[in-house]
Amino acid sequence: MRPTLRSRFLTGCLVLAVAAALVPAADAQKRGGTLTIVRPTDPVSLDPNLETTAPGAWVYFNMLEGLLTLDDKMQVKPLLATSYEVMSPTKVRFKLRPGVKFHDGTPFNAAAVKFTFDRALRGTPPARWASLAGSLDGAEVVDDLTVDVVTREPYGPILRTLAMYCMGMVSPTAVQKMGADFSRAPVGTGPFKFVEWKTNTHVIIERNPDYWGDRALVDRVVFKVVPEEGARMIALQTGDADMVLFPSPAQLPALRKDPKFTVHETTGIRVVFVGLHAGMPPLDDVRVRQALLHAVDRKAILDNIMEGSAGPALGVLAPGVFGFKDMHLDRLYPFDRAKAKALLAQAGWTPGSDGIMVKGGQRLSLSWLAARGRYPKDGEITEAIQAMFKEVGVEAKVQVLEWAAVFQQLRGATFNHHVFTLGWVTSNADADYSLYALFHSKQAPPTGWNTSRYANARVDALVEQARRSLNQTEREKLYGEVQDIVAKEMVWIPVYTTKEIIVSRANVKGFHIHPVEYNLTLSKTWIDK
Amino acid sequence: MLTFVVRRLLLAVPVLLGVVFVVMLTVDLLPGDAVTLMLGEHATKDAVAKLRDHLGLDKPFLVRYLEYVGRVARGDLGRSIQQNRPVVSELADTWPATLQLTVAALVLAAGAGILAGVASAVWPNSVFDALARLGSLFGLSMPIFWTGLVLIVVFSLWLNWLPVGGAGSLAHLILPAVTLALPSVAMISRMTRAAVLDVLREDYVRTARAKGVGELWVLGRHALRNAFIPILTLLGLQSGQLMGGAVLTETVFAWPGLGRLMVKAIFARDYILLQGAVLVFALAFVVINLLVDLSYGLLDPRIGRQG
Repeated sequence: MRPTLRSRFLTGCLVLAVAAALVPAADAQKRGGTLTIVRPTDPVSLDPNLETTAPGAWVYFNMLEGLLTLDDKMQVKPLLATSYEVMSPTKVRFKLRPGVKFHDGTPFNAAAVKFTFDRALRGTPPARWASLAGSLDGAEVVDDLTVDVVTREPYGPILRTLAMYCMGMVSPTAVQKMGADFSRAPVGTGPFKFVEWKTNTHVIIERNPDYWGDRALVDRVVFKVVPEEGARMIALQTGDADMVLFPSPAQLPALRKDPKFTVHETTGIRVVFVGLHAGMPPLDDVRVRQALLHAVDRKAILDNIMEGSAGPALGVLAPGVFGFKDMHLDRLYPFDRAKAKALLAQAGWTPGSDGIMVKGGQRLSLSWLAARGRYPKDGEITEAIQAMFKEVGVEAKVQVLEWAAVFQQLRGATFNHHVFTLGWVTSNADADYSLYALFHSKQAPPTGWNTSRYANARVDALVEQARRSLNQTEREKLYGEVQDIVAKEMVWIPVYTTKEIIVSRANVKGFHIHPVEYNLTLSKTWIDK
Repeated sequence: MLTFVVRRLLLAVPVLLGVVFVVMLTVDLLPGDAVTLMLGEHATKDAVAKLRDHLGLDKPFLVRYLEYVGRVARGDLGRSIQQNRPVVSELADTWPATLQLTVAALVLAAGAGILAGVASAVWPNSVFDALARLGSLFGLSMPIFWTGLVLIVVFSLWLNWLPVGGAGSLAHLILPAVTLALPSVAMISRMTRAAVLDVLREDYVRTARAKGVGELWVLGRHALRNAFIPILTLLGLQSGQLMGGAVLTETVFAWPGLGRLMVKAIFARDYILLQGAVLVFALAFVVINLLVDLSYGLLDPRIGRQG
């Protein structure tokens, strides 16, 4: 079997072309102008080797391109590669796009791919993204436009790993010439190239006139730093800014109604949940965990606390992630206090004198570790669910600590709380990243992230098999089975899926928001003056 | 005089050593570390250990402190942990902006504060005095980030006279300087009023008036000059206050200065960068107070002779 991206890609193009012919263009695209974007923080660096967080990624994503990319439907699309072929379980061969040049004129070829991976994976220290890249081991040059990407062991998520925002190819000549300065002025193949970075003030990028694909529509993009949320929103209103990243949630309802602005939103890939420690009594009893799921009115939380700024959680993964399967939580665990109490009764818990359940003289009291302000409304959610637990006779003692302190405890080899509030992003958009690290029994911290100490031999076998397979259809099926099993023995109360939200002035056209916050594509954006 | 200056500058050394110690210890005690923040929450244990080793973060606290002090003594402030850029370049990029902002605020605060204070003292309990008192109360009580935002709403959003934030022109400087100066204007005007009122009750002022000296001369030559010592002391202390306030003001107005650099360093647990920034602030504070002490001698020759 030789799946090629090109064939799928070409079909896509054809469909788009037909659609474009049928629908008259609503607006004629205009070229030129400067797009000013305000966001809260300055980048750490503009080199993916040193920076994987949003402030830098938003900028370099427009200058550096990888072999593959994820479109806004979360499908893998070719970028600097035109097709691929699985050679062996640890080797994937890529044909590279011919005639592509880096911004400094260096030709893009197989040697540049090898250089980029060697620099990231063999450098001291290795690239910041190395730990996101699983068992990726590097690249081998086959000929000028053919390259083999190799992994240390069979690694199913390889395609989505290579499509991550931080896998951009860098110009070998520029890296060698610039040394440490490269991290402040990177050279890639993208539709924009670097102009200037004034620390804590702005980064400017401009259209790459020699781009291999459709050239960017705006002349320049200025990324300004405005740390204060209120000041960012005012800058948008006065026209000092065309686009705001991290807009103020409180102002969104008003902005949605205002014709001067466009609110771009889409479901993100982070799930915020309340985790249950399945290795610690009484939560080692699956009936108690199920009772807790029935006790929580998740819709009320979405409507009254999130107020439209988040989507429902459909399982342990977000819908955009490869391998996602809807767990139908509303059908499995509808909000039903009677059901919750019945399950607790089955597990031997009876109401005590103060309404809290007791069993053998022991009160049903849970210790809960949470931070406040790490994820949108996490503190409010913790409080609301604490109150909902109480309604079914479960006491929760919440300890709120600063995020860094919570993080340290979560990463410890022993975790001494029954319940914790956490969010999880599937960084490479492949189920492996989450289902392996969070549900494999050998992945308890500090190795992985199975803080719930979930253990099921069948799940272990399935996630291992799915990691080793390079057949994506088979992998999807395996992950579906994992999620079916996990759904029955829930160790999470999934609360919401984040939304990515960006606000622009209404004359900013052609912008499509991406489920992955880092994937900020600006080449198709234009300004209607 | 020269020995005095040299002695004072030498005294600054233990002060700076102490400042570095306290800052480093605070960062060390904060939960969370630079490496976790750099590699993200999902990093493998192995990757974290490698990077910690590479950055020298696994060494004991005292060793890191002594190494740092040793390097600073040789004039090397090190490289920032997060960006791997020389701290000196980071500081060089940012300190002029902070200097500009604090000097502008200090001039504004001193000018407006002294004028308002003298006027209040000359016409005590008048309508102006009452308004000035109310204004001072307001200026002292309102937090900088709040006044800053209100000024942005009024002057940028409604009137569209001044830019929302950023740096570059004199227009950009006005709002942040005014915001930063307001609490100090309040302090200085209160202090000036009290000091001038005190002096105006002195016998020599009555004598001056009795011998027919004009009121302006009495104020300028006799009253203000004598009232100036406590005002100057306050100005020195306020400059420290202004540097602290600059951290907030720079954040509200997106002013690219040292304060924002410091905030960034704190959030990144980048103790090398943070110490560099704190050293600059501490040194500036020491130098300003030295200048204040020296200027006492100019105002009151008796003080100079004792030194």
